[in-house]
Amino acid sequence: MKRRKLVAVGFVALAALVFAIAAGGVSGANKAKSITIWLQTDAQAANWAPIVAAANAQFQKDTGATANVQYQSWGTHLQKFDATLAGGNTPDVIEMGNTEMTKYMAAGAFQDLTADKGTFDNSSTWLAGLAASGRYNGHLYGVPYYAGSRVVTYRTDLFKKAGIKVPTSLAQFTTDGQALLKKFGKKGFSPVYIAGTDWYFAMSFVFDYGGSIASRVSGKWKGALDTKKSIAGLTAYKNFFNAVSRASKTTDEAHPNPYDVYAQGLAGSIVGPAWYSCCVGKQYTAVTGQFTVPSHVKGQVMPGFLGGSDLAVPVGANKSLGEAWIRAYTSNASEKALEGIGNIPNTTSLFDNSKINERAAARSWFVPTAKNWVNVENENILRNMLAEILTNKLTVKQAAQAASDNIASILNAS
Amino acid sequence: MTSFPAEPSITAEPGVSRARRRLTWARVGRASVPYLLILPVLAAVGTILGYPLYNLVTLSFQRYGLFELIQHSGHWIGTSNYGSILHDSVFWHTLLRTVIFTIANVGLTMVLGTAMALLLVQVSAWLRVALTVGLVLVWSVPAVVAVQIWYWMTNFQNGVLNYVLGAGEHDWYATTFSQLSIVTALIVWAAIPFVTITVYAGLAQVPAELVDAASIDGAGSVRIFRDVTFPILKPILLILTSLSIIWDFGVFTQPYLLIGKEHLNSSNYLMGVYVYIKGYAEADFGRGAAISILMLLIVAILSVFYVRKMVRMEAVE
Repeated sequence: MKRRKLVAVGFVALAALVFAIAAGGVSGANKAKSITIWLQTDAQAANWAPIVAAANAQFQKDTGATANVQYQSWGTHLQKFDATLAGGNTPDVIEMGNTEMTKYMAAGAFQDLTADKGTFDNSSTWLAGLAASGRYNGHLYGVPYYAGSRVVTYRTDLFKKAGIKVPTSLAQFTTDGQALLKKFGKKGFSPVYIAGTDWYFAMSFVFDYGGSIASRVSGKWKGALDTKKSIAGLTAYKNFFNAVSRASKTTDEAHPNPYDVYAQGLAGSIVGPAWYSCCVGKQYTAVTGQFTVPSHVKGQVMPGFLGGSDLAVPVGANKSLGEAWIRAYTSNASEKALEGIGNIPNTTSLFDNSKINERAAARSWFVPTAKNWVNVENENILRNMLAEILTNKLTVKQAAQAASDNIASILNAS
Repeated sequence: MTSFPAEPSITAEPGVSRARRRLTWARVGRASVPYLLILPVLAAVGTILGYPLYNLVTLSFQRYGLFELIQHSGHWIGTSNYGSILHDSVFWHTLLRTVIFTIANVGLTMVLGTAMALLLVQVSAWLRVALTVGLVLVWSVPAVVAVQIWYWMTNFQNGVLNYVLGAGEHDWYATTFSQLSIVTALIVWAAIPFVTITVYAGLAQVPAELVDAASIDGAGSVRIFRDVTFPILKPILLILTSLSIIWDFGVFTQPYLLIGKEHLNSSNYLMGVYVYIKGYAEADFGRGAAISILMLLIVAILSVFYVRKMVRMEAVE
């Protein structure tokens, strides 16, 4: 009996050995004269695609190599990227959201571009807030690509009919909203459509009232949503939401897309990236305008989230070709074209104050630059807090306290 | 052999040992035939299950995050992944929530599925065909498509559910209970066809004369089900129940997509979602592996009761 067991064990061991051998020895792919670039699907838009095509052509002219652009979606591109890091077949260039950069830079996922900084157009006048997201420990890992600020997209016809003008303060914006509600308040209509858990907009209130999300105190992160100023901001958000939005208190800004609600005629205005004007529906294109979100301080702009993207060269990628493509795509001409379709260019030298999103970017805020920040987003700490506040599950203070503690423990985790 | 006194001890010794060796080789030869025969199966199972499982176990004892992923080598840290998980209140809350969720889902699936099968036996032929076609259609809807349809139906502003119920703009995703109830409804809806069709097939094994005899003896339909139908169906119901436990305990697609990535947080995690967030979304693969191993053990414990019962029942038969 024992011997029989031994034989069995022997066979299992033999089998295991075979698999161990079979599993080893995976060789890297040869990527000679073609490089792979991961851009987000945003760049597939009809007005954006020609800019990518022009950069590809320039790149081919410069290097003789071809660029293979693959489009990724924001929700899944990091998991896909992780898989390529594990498999050793990373793309040669990847577009990263500015809030996603820190974790990957800290883990050593990108090649150091510091020495070649001067070869990129306008590198001395890069937009400071955006450029900061591509730097870690004094090294350059991400080249700023473009930024976007958040503005109000509104129905000029409805404002006119209700006899209201573009508001210059939050208080005025609130009374304007209520005037719209009174006049056009049919079922499901929101004067200002705000998805309840749109934390990008809610945090703008926090920063407008002088609060913040977290701060670094002697090498450790400390949650700051429970401070008096932050709580004042969150309370203002709650009041504003209750006064002017009839959106779901628990939904997010992608379900549904605010511009879809707008296109259905169910919103007097929406808050979001300036490019929302793209998709307001044919019937409303002529009666759509934009203005910057007014601060609670009259005449000021409310600080908006400065969203944006960087371009990075992952480890194991072809650095010189990757850099060459980034050089072509972030060239002065290319950035100018990106500005032309409503983005904020990566350089202040192209800034134009007549453009609303660039005016809105005058006051902006950014998430804490901690390597674990992305986990705060993954665990939806802020969205959950907002839902709890708006549905009155918890008081503003209780929800802010819990979120603040949670954020500190996530940011300080090893 | 030891009971025989070894008479010619000096000369016999090599002979005995030779005989033993001959015997041994023959035995090994004979014994290895079945192993050789199952070798292909072992190889397949080893490749598909064994190697990944081995990897998972070793991964669970390592610190393996993004940094280690890029370096292609983990850092051995013993059982500290397990320690940190077992000390995390989120894990225990998630586990409790998932167990309750599983009991509710499996219970509803089995009761409604069996009831539907009993209904199929009673109704007229054309209705049976119509019902079966409906069930098969439900069964054939891919999970992702089903989620999208349910999401539309439960939409707070334009959803047909609020319209039919006249519930105004009721938000079906406002509380954890409500979110998980919608997920439960979706899962049970999608799981009923399999249970119904399998149980219906099982009902064909119930001899009509037994049912007739029982009803002549004055048994009502409940009594007939309890004392005649149920004992015959028992093995099938047990298999279906244990399969349902395994599926529902680790369910991922429906809660992840229906509740939505933007709304998943520690107050509404189920185990499948929890392991995904910890392991993949946060790129902490070592911890994710440890959670998976714990899940495997929990499912094994949950199903052991049923498996034991099944084995016992087979032994009796």
